[in-house]
Amino acid sequence: MSASETTEGTAHAEAGGLPQFDPAWWPGQIAWFLIIFLAVFILMRTIFVPRIGGTIANRDATIEGDIARARQLKDEADAQVQAAAAETAAARASSQKLASEARAKAQAEIAAGLAKEEAKLAESTAKAEASIAEARDKAMGGVRAIAIDTAQAIVGKLTGKPASAAEIEAALAARG
Amino acid sequence: MSFAIEPMEQFMVHKVVDIAPINIGGFMLDMSITNSTVMMLVAATLISILLAFSSRGSLVPGRVQAVGEILFDLIDNTLVTPIIGHNGKPYIPFVFTIFMLVLFMNLGGVLLSVGSLGGQEWTFTPTAQLAVTATLALLTFLSVIVIGIIKNGFGIYKLFVPSGMPLAMVIVMVPIELISFLARPLTLAMRLFGNMLGGHVVMYIFGSFVVMLGAIGLTGGIATLGFVGSALSLSMVVVLTGLELVVAGLQAFVFAALATVYLNEVVNLGHGH
Repeated sequence: MSASETTEGTAHAEAGGLPQFDPAWWPGQIAWFLIIFLAVFILMRTIFVPRIGGTIANRDATIEGDIARARQLKDEADAQVQAAAAETAAARASSQKLASEARAKAQAEIAAGLAKEEAKLAESTAKAEASIAEARDKAMGGVRAIAIDTAQAIVGKLTGKPASAAEIEAALAARG
Repeated sequence: MSFAIEPMEQFMVHKVVDIAPINIGGFMLDMSITNSTVMMLVAATLISILLAFSSRGSLVPGRVQAVGEILFDLIDNTLVTPIIGHNGKPYIPFVFTIFMLVLFMNLGGVLLSVGSLGGQEWTFTPTAQLAVTATLALLTFLSVIVIGIIKNGFGIYKLFVPSGMPLAMVIVMVPIELISFLARPLTLAMRLFGNMLGGHVVMYIFGSFVVMLGAIGLTGGIATLGFVGSALSLSMVVVLTGLELVVAGLQAFVFAALATVYLNEVVNLGHGH
């Protein structure tokens, strides 16, 4: 134990502080580092950098192409949407026109039907009025005969001398 | 019971596989595989596996592929393209290599804390080695100079002489610009090294407090209060681990960002980008 500690101690004393400054290890580390650096550099230059750079460039190009195509498709879709909207608007306009025409026709028909019915109604009303007037006139004629009879009877009772129907007629006519 | 607090022990390099030194013009280069080499190789391997998954190129990425792509995108779309512009594309592999290696070596020291296995201590942070950070810093610095000369030729002097400056100012400015330019590798190396070193030392010290105060608490009596200190130190270790993860990512990003800024100066020299 003590022997190994002593050798370690001497090794340290010889190195003089930092082991990095021990010149014995410099040439080997420098040579190995240069060899390894060169090897990695050659691999980078011939394989890794071209391939990775190519992959990234390829990916960027693909993404750009995809985006351009998506944009184009979107434009096409937008155009189709506009066309469809225009078609819909046209269809709506024509259907509205059709509907308003149908409505106008229906209203005209209704108006015509109504006028006909009203005319019919007016005719039957006139007829009815005429028959009512006739009936009234007739009734009124009856009333005149009753009035004459009643007047004859009253005159007979009051004067004791019956008045002739012609006299009563004349008196009524004089009064209107 | 006593514990020796050795906060620097974690930075000790030791051999794992002995390889006979290679003679380069009389200099014996010891290429033995050390624990530092192992962690560098682990980082490089993990990077390769992650990026191999990310290279499958699925249009809709899976989780692993997305992680690699997010890291790549960070370097491409947050650093290189905004700073250098579109003529910065050729430098992405270089900046990405710096970023990924630093990131994975930093993270390896925090996340791959396997401790000792087979009598060896494996937890190691290569970016806490000045040899490694200085090499990376110098590599970045020299690459910037070489790229600058290739791109601008002799015009590289404009880096130190901003256009339309009076002669009297040039005499003052050129040395200042030159010194700040030459200080770049030093600051790059020291920033990363210092951040990793400091964080790991503080974590080690709080970690050893947990054990030490716990051992004192075991002696009983009033010393039982040691457990309180031990628990507080443990919560500090937890907090510091989170902080170290942030620092690991941040320092990798800072190193890559500075490398990009330095590259931009020579790539767009005189263009007033």
